[in-house]
Amino acid sequence: MKKGISTIVVLSVLILTLASCKKWVDYDPHEDFKQTELDYLRTEADYRTMAVSVYTPIQWLNQSVVVGEIASDNAVSGGESASDVLSLQQIDDMTHNANNSTLTELWQAAYEGINRANYMHQYKAKNPGGNTVSFTGKEALYGEVYFLRAYYYFHLVRFFGDVPLFTEKRLGLTESKSLKRTDKAQVYAQIESDLLSAIAVLPSVQIQKGRVTKYAAQALLGKVYLYQQKYTDASDMLANVINSNAFSLPSNYEGIFLSSGENGPESVFEIQYSNTSPYYNWGAVNRGQGNYAVQQCGVRGINGTDSMPYAAGWSTNLPTTDLASAYQSGDKRKAVTVLDIAAYKAAHPSYNITYQEAPYKNTGLYNQKFLPRKGQTSGQIELNYLNNYRTIRYADVLLMAAEALVKSGGSEVKALEYVNLVRQRAFGDNTHNISASGNALYLAILDERRLELAMEGDRFFDLVRTGMAETKITGFVKGKHEVFPIPFEEINISGLSQNPGY
Amino acid sequence: MRGKFTILPLALLLGFSTQQVNGQTGPKPGRLSDTTKLSEVVVVGYGTRKVTKVSGAISTIKSVDIEKLQPVRVEDALQGRASGLSIINSGSPGSKPTVFVRGIPSFSGTDPLVIIDGVPQTLTDLNSINASDIESINVLKDAATTAIYGVKGGNGVIVVTTKSGKRNQKTDINYSSYYGFQEVVNTVGVLNATEYGAMVNEGSRLAGGGLVFSDLSKLGVGTNWQNEVFKRAAIQSHNVTARGGSDKMTYFLSAGALQQGGIVGGMDKSNFTRGNLTANLIFDLTPKLKFIMNTTGVVLNSKGVQENSFNSVLGSAINFDPTVANSNAGYSNLLLSEIYNPLTKLDNTYNKNVGTKIYGKFEFQYDILDNLKVSTRFGYTKFDNDAKSFTPLVFYGPLNVDNTMNADGTAVAGKFNQVNHDKMGNFNWTWESFANYNFKYKEDHDFETVLGFALAKVSGNALGASRQDVPFNSWEFADFTAATGTNTALNPTAINGYYYQYFRRNLSSFARVNYDFKSRYLASVTIRRDGSYAFGIDNKYANFYSGSLGWIVSEEDFFKSKFINNLKVRGSYGAIGNENVNPQFVGIITGGPSYGPTGNSNGYSFGDIFVPGATVGSAANNALRWEKQIQSNFGFDMIFHKYKFSLSADVFRKSVDGLLFTPSASLYLGTVPIPTDNIGSTQTTGVDITFAYYEKIKDQVKLSNSITFTAAKNEVTATNTDGTAKIFGGYYFNGQSQSVTVFEKGFSPGYFYGYKTDGLFQNEQEIAAAAKQLGAKPGDIKFVDVNGDGVINADDRTQIGNPFPDFTLGWNLTVEYKNFDLNAFTYASVGNDIYRAYERNGNYTNKDRRILERWTGEGSTNSAENPRYSFVDANNNSRVSDRYVEDGSFVKLKNIQLGYSISNFPKRIKINKIRFYAQVKNAFVITKYSGFDPEIAGGVLDTGIDRGAYPQARTFALGIDVKF
Repeated sequence: MKKGISTIVVLSVLILTLASCKKWVDYDPHEDFKQTELDYLRTEADYRTMAVSVYTPIQWLNQSVVVGEIASDNAVSGGESASDVLSLQQIDDMTHNANNSTLTELWQAAYEGINRANYMHQYKAKNPGGNTVSFTGKEALYGEVYFLRAYYYFHLVRFFGDVPLFTEKRLGLTESKSLKRTDKAQVYAQIESDLLSAIAVLPSVQIQKGRVTKYAAQALLGKVYLYQQKYTDASDMLANVINSNAFSLPSNYEGIFLSSGENGPESVFEIQYSNTSPYYNWGAVNRGQGNYAVQQCGVRGINGTDSMPYAAGWSTNLPTTDLASAYQSGDKRKAVTVLDIAAYKAAHPSYNITYQEAPYKNTGLYNQKFLPRKGQTSGQIELNYLNNYRTIRYADVLLMAAEALVKSGGSEVKALEYVNLVRQRAFGDNTHNISASGNALYLAILDERRLELAMEGDRFFDLVRTGMAETKITGFVKGKHEVFPIPFEEINISGLSQNPGY
Repeated sequence: MRGKFTILPLALLLGFSTQQVNGQTGPKPGRLSDTTKLSEVVVVGYGTRKVTKVSGAISTIKSVDIEKLQPVRVEDALQGRASGLSIINSGSPGSKPTVFVRGIPSFSGTDPLVIIDGVPQTLTDLNSINASDIESINVLKDAATTAIYGVKGGNGVIVVTTKSGKRNQKTDINYSSYYGFQEVVNTVGVLNATEYGAMVNEGSRLAGGGLVFSDLSKLGVGTNWQNEVFKRAAIQSHNVTARGGSDKMTYFLSAGALQQGGIVGGMDKSNFTRGNLTANLIFDLTPKLKFIMNTTGVVLNSKGVQENSFNSVLGSAINFDPTVANSNAGYSNLLLSEIYNPLTKLDNTYNKNVGTKIYGKFEFQYDILDNLKVSTRFGYTKFDNDAKSFTPLVFYGPLNVDNTMNADGTAVAGKFNQVNHDKMGNFNWTWESFANYNFKYKEDHDFETVLGFALAKVSGNALGASRQDVPFNSWEFADFTAATGTNTALNPTAINGYYYQYFRRNLSSFARVNYDFKSRYLASVTIRRDGSYAFGIDNKYANFYSGSLGWIVSEEDFFKSKFINNLKVRGSYGAIGNENVNPQFVGIITGGPSYGPTGNSNGYSFGDIFVPGATVGSAANNALRWEKQIQSNFGFDMIFHKYKFSLSADVFRKSVDGLLFTPSASLYLGTVPIPTDNIGSTQTTGVDITFAYYEKIKDQVKLSNSITFTAAKNEVTATNTDGTAKIFGGYYFNGQSQSVTVFEKGFSPGYFYGYKTDGLFQNEQEIAAAAKQLGAKPGDIKFVDVNGDGVINADDRTQIGNPFPDFTLGWNLTVEYKNFDLNAFTYASVGNDIYRAYERNGNYTNKDRRILERWTGEGSTNSAENPRYSFVDANNNSRVSDRYVEDGSFVKLKNIQLGYSISNFPKRIKINKIRFYAQVKNAFVITKYSGFDPEIAGGVLDTGIDRGAYPQARTFALGIDVKF
């Protein structure tokens, strides 16, 4: 009898334990206090918070500005030696190939932005749990998301030409290697459609600085049209921005590029950086809140008294003498754009300046629009400069509108008015106004773009789209260098085709 | 009768020696508990098995050998004594060695499973077990023996059995104690002050600079900093044990204390202290129901110094300026950062760890029938560690850029001292229930069966806090409560804290059938099914199985060899696993910057106001599963020549697949980390041999020898989907951050990867004739253009060494003559390379003596070890190359002990036996390696990288064992 009882006890223990098995080895992330996608996008706040991170990858694209200048006749890659910052050296020398870490970063970062925007799009109507979350301002919020997706695709198409296009959802591992490159015309169509959706819902003013407005979307769309040589569309679209009277050109050109000039009256769209959240990940230098490209511009080992404003950097993005000599005398933009360090030192003996000459490709000139300044970084100082990119300035809008007017056979008077607005600020008078017409006016506008927007990242792309790259850029091979190579890793893994010549 | 005689050589084979007990003469196995007098058994998973009937691969170490060695950590006693086990020890007191059972299966998670009295623990837990509590250690090496542990058994299993009491026996008390001191064995040859001054001058001059030391004659020999930081350090251990029992219960009680000082910095700065209390009790509650309770409480205290880097205490001692006077106040005006006066560094090292642990089990055994026993056992480990460290403000010299304190004792602006508290705790338990049923079928068919299940949970958490501004910059007041720092906008980390928690859960069921026919034909089948919380939802359960066969040839009637007394052949095959995965899920991360490998950051600054964001932060691989190993083993055990010799040999092959790798995925998927997948694989083949020889000369001299041989060859056979993945490791810094080791398809795991050298360029013509090498000048190293593309670049890096030995040998010799006993244990490791990474290689750091043989002009030398010396190294002579690879093969006399025993005391003195002994550990080392110690422990990717690793000490000790 006793034996029987024990057997029963043992058996019941066994059965009870085995019955609870399943649960014992299941894993619920909540036990680890981790949020899954089913926990998220359940409130308005979730949607708004997630939209913020669609902006994040635009900060990671800071090297696009560097490449846009170094690839052109405006800047050289400098650095310590021929093997320092190799990826930039090769772009400078037009010897770049598909194995280029900078280009790989610019590819992958943009696609992360697209995936983030797609994820928002995917769960717009219904969240991952299958419920609809409605709130006031949801459409306007999605306007920002679509603007950003357009921005990322525009970045990709400018750099790489035909690129994989997907808009329905964030891709997962199962979609790896599944895509081919899409013709850039289709990519442009998607960009236009996203921007038009954004324009329809975005407000003209945002309370938070740096948020996308309707005008930013219109200005970007104008630019997108211009790149496709849709001059009439561009002209019409940009007129919206100009006629809104929402923007103006502050008289002090230098002030725009100081920290006090961030998000000023000329700012149509600005990529925001700040030093208030110090970051220290050397494994992913572009992924913080600071602008890594600023450190690259700095004068090596510069030192001086407390009142000397500059901080040291790496001299890897130096303006050329060609750029410096392109400015007419009296053009106040020259001193703001390029810093002649030897002259500066001589002019300011009280600063006790010492510095190391750029060891490689020295031009003696520095990119003053983004020169590191004391007190403007924090934490790991190289990674946390606060300098925003003035991505679309009103001056840019005016020059684009002028170009579009001239090319579309629109009013040259208006075009002249726009260009001269820019020049009047540059010279501080009306005597330097231009009065050309036809192709001469067109060329004058392009020259003005170079001078006004130098070191801000558009030069290479302007040269390419206007067909002037071959004559202006040493080593530029027509039919090849208009676009950069698709990263080798992507070709290798995903089996994409390469751009011609690479 | 034959069976009885086989005990002795088998005992030897298994590594235990003979000795005289209680005046009884004649060989007798070491202490055996009463239940196993006639036939030795080994402890296997969920049961025991007669040695003669084992058909798997097991190595065994008995208490006698462990007692002879007096190890601080138990693994020390396994090195070279258990074949198939590779152990690389570290010199740092109490620290965990590298342990591999039969080769290297993976790049991480290679520790074998440790089972203490049936309860699963980890290799780390072996630091808390008192060596004198151990009855035996069995190392389970093949699938036949480890498959019963399923997904935990993949790296082999170390089964530790502690002592228990004896029924109906009066108390048997043992006291043992030893005291000794330790010292460094070798120091590294560096320059004296005059030589240093001359080299610095030359380096400066060749770089176009002026003389640094204008008058070398003033420098003299200066300070050898190694002599300043190495101290003699004491080691002592004291143990009392008592065992005995009545007819209803048995007990084993033990108390022990051990203290080991570190030779780097001495007892004050580096030490390991352990106190143990153990009670192993067995109660017969009813004639059929037994209750077993094992409990051990441990206190583990330690202090440590910074180790294994160029700027650690030892790294500084090698690299620091020898012209500085030998005091902690001395400073260099040349070395102004990174490397400081090692005495200053040592003086400013303050930390302590206080660990408390309790582990053991509660077990009930019920004999339902004579041959059917049901057991249920709750095993647990509870560990808490409380650590404190203090980083004071330090002044390293007036020009030093890393000063946190000014010469006048005030803090450098923006610098603070800081106290850190870190507490971590874990509670791991296993509840196992199983039934053992043994039966015979028709007399000759013998069955032993086990069926059971287990539930296990590992859980833990950690929390810590730090605070700045400790009063008086002193250790005395280094405590959170005494510090005064408060957070401000400019200094948000004056007070800081953290917390995290973790857990794992497993559910398993298992069964085993052992069968033998006429004790001649052996067979065994094991099945285990494991569920893990970590596996993907499509792969929640894993099945493991193994089978083995054995044939005792010598039992056959036709076997009539006079020479061979006993011969068993055996083979096994099976699948086991490894659970080194973590659960995956689609997670949302919120907040700001990411410090993960893909930098998948969140948030955005609108204006200067940071707004946190949210995004998808992780992806799931629902097919995630275990690492799977297929192992096959073939071996034999032989006793021959009048039972004097025994030989046991195994060959094995182990294929591991399912190593976690990140598959290559399209970049357009973005920066959410790609979930790892089980796609890598490795293959290991090897041989384990144990040979023993016993001789008795005229009943006076007893001699026993046991020799082990262990060899394994490993290869990575697959990594990620396109085979391109490389896992880099072995990082060090010599002016540039370097990585030496790689886990890569087609190579041995963790091999050294760098440039091959081909002598020196003697002149410009040689440079012009060679592959293009940027910056080369005559006297610089000529690197080999491995891929033949005419340019020396990163693509020319290749295999330049392997840190793991081709084979290891252990030789344990015991000689007894009358009352004297001598034990000598020699261990050799052959073919292990070492990468010398302790040289900081700065302009003003001290240098290896090889530099005295440097190239000084055409024809002066052509050795790549001795390039010209200049402050400017445009050729990058200090890149990772075979210049720094040395043969680390060694022979160590690990232990030599001479004992003298006195017994036959008069009855009124209640002493049975006293043994005195003198012992030297690491008595000598024969090696070509020029660093401190050729044994350099680390993970798979850090083994053999000498960044100034803590060397093992030479220990001189005197001890006494008293049996009452």
